[in-house]
Amino acid sequence: MLTVQGFQKALEYWKLFLQGVVCTVSLSALTVIFGFILALLLAVCRMGRSKILKAIATVYVELFRATPMVVQIFVIFYVVFDGVKVLPGYKLFGFIRFDRFFPAVVALSLNSGAYLSEIIRSGIQSIDIGQTEAARSLGLSSVKTMRFVILPQAIKNILPAIANEFVTIIKESAICYTIGVQDIMSAVNAVKGATYRMAEALMIATALYFCLTYPTSKIIAHFERKMSAGDKR
Amino acid sequence: MTNDKLIQVKDLKKYYKGDRIKALDGVTVDINRGDVMVVIGPSGSGKSTFLRSLNLLEVPTSGSIVFENVDITKKTGPDGKKLDIDLHRQKMGMVFQHFNLFPHMTILQNMVLAPVQVKGVPQAEAEKKALELLERVGLADRADAYPIQLSGGQKQRVAIVRALAMEPDVMLFDEPTSALDPEMVGEVLDVMRELAREGMTMVVVTHEMGFAREVGNRILFMADGKLLEEGSPDAIFNHPQNPRLQDFLSKVL
Repeated sequence: MLTVQGFQKALEYWKLFLQGVVCTVSLSALTVIFGFILALLLAVCRMGRSKILKAIATVYVELFRATPMVVQIFVIFYVVFDGVKVLPGYKLFGFIRFDRFFPAVVALSLNSGAYLSEIIRSGIQSIDIGQTEAARSLGLSSVKTMRFVILPQAIKNILPAIANEFVTIIKESAICYTIGVQDIMSAVNAVKGATYRMAEALMIATALYFCLTYPTSKIIAHFERKMSAGDKR
Repeated sequence: MTNDKLIQVKDLKKYYKGDRIKALDGVTVDINRGDVMVVIGPSGSGKSTFLRSLNLLEVPTSGSIVFENVDITKKTGPDGKKLDIDLHRQKMGMVFQHFNLFPHMTILQNMVLAPVQVKGVPQAEAEKKALELLERVGLADRADAYPIQLSGGQKQRVAIVRALAMEPDVMLFDEPTSALDPEMVGEVLDVMRELAREGMTMVVVTHEMGFAREVGNRILFMADGKLLEEGSPDAIFNHPQNPRLQDFLSKVL
């Protein structure tokens, strides 16, 4: 049952929630950046001429898309980083434990890179081959053709799918509390431990996640409208 | 080698699926500076493949293309370093059937992209030059429009001056009027005629026989990937020798 007193009690721990928001936002932002870079690399490998790179990228993408997120994050944290021994105990913003935070960023980036690369690949392949031919015939290198001609058009086409993936990253990041990252869900857990009540804390977490994801999709929708300048007559 | 020969094509072959499909089957021809060479032939004759091979948009199976004394089909250039095809493509302007303007850029942006990014021309200078070129084809007032706001004929005129902005030594036209509504064909041909009059070396694949006869100084007739007959417009159109050419002309004229 939700009670006013319950909310009052939960809100006494507002600082934990605030820290949770900072943590979730940093986690998601870093994941978006690293995930996107990784995704570009993977997409290029999958479309490139080298059969070896193509095979590696394909296996990678299929592996990460076919296994649960929670398994991936446990493997990264408990196996790859082997507990917390190899990382410094340094605290980001004075409270985010780097030895928990960093493996979480790595795991989320590796995961979202796999999904984003498929989105990017489909976006690039949707652009008419004539665009590449025109750019190359003008003397543009393949890299400059990609940068000035293909990617701007491809990204515009796939922006809704990318927005969806960004929102997914924010939501998926909630799983990181299982390895001790102090995100919003970890604040819920802490409140539950201190007050023996979970319902109100969960309501607060729900509201906070919504306040993060909804504007994110709206902001990207705004850019989408701006980028479609060439579509209007 | 004399300097008059701008492009020397020797025994050019393009095979698909092993050697079951022969898109080009041993084409040899020299293109001289100032030539307006018009390539005609039935569809599937390999004329587009031939044109697209000249700047290596199609990589030939065998044969050589010597452009300005460099064999661009080789992996290494005359200096022993890896051949940079982008360097040679800059000097070969190309115009496509479907215009291929960049839809996310304005007309002006379309025109300055390559000069700025490839040749390092300062932005302001490139824009000035672009506006002059647009002026020549009567489209200076559309510089800030996007391609979708233009008619087909206007798009193709922009595509032509976009290629000219790189100051190429030769212009390649791949069926430049085939995707146009009939009433727009004339305005594009006018621009090409003007270009020929100024002495631009041109290779034109087209179905416009009137244009070929009037503007071309050399006509190539291709069929089944082979160059079957070559000659002046008068020789080709009034005294065709090859039975395939006679048959083709009887259908199109």
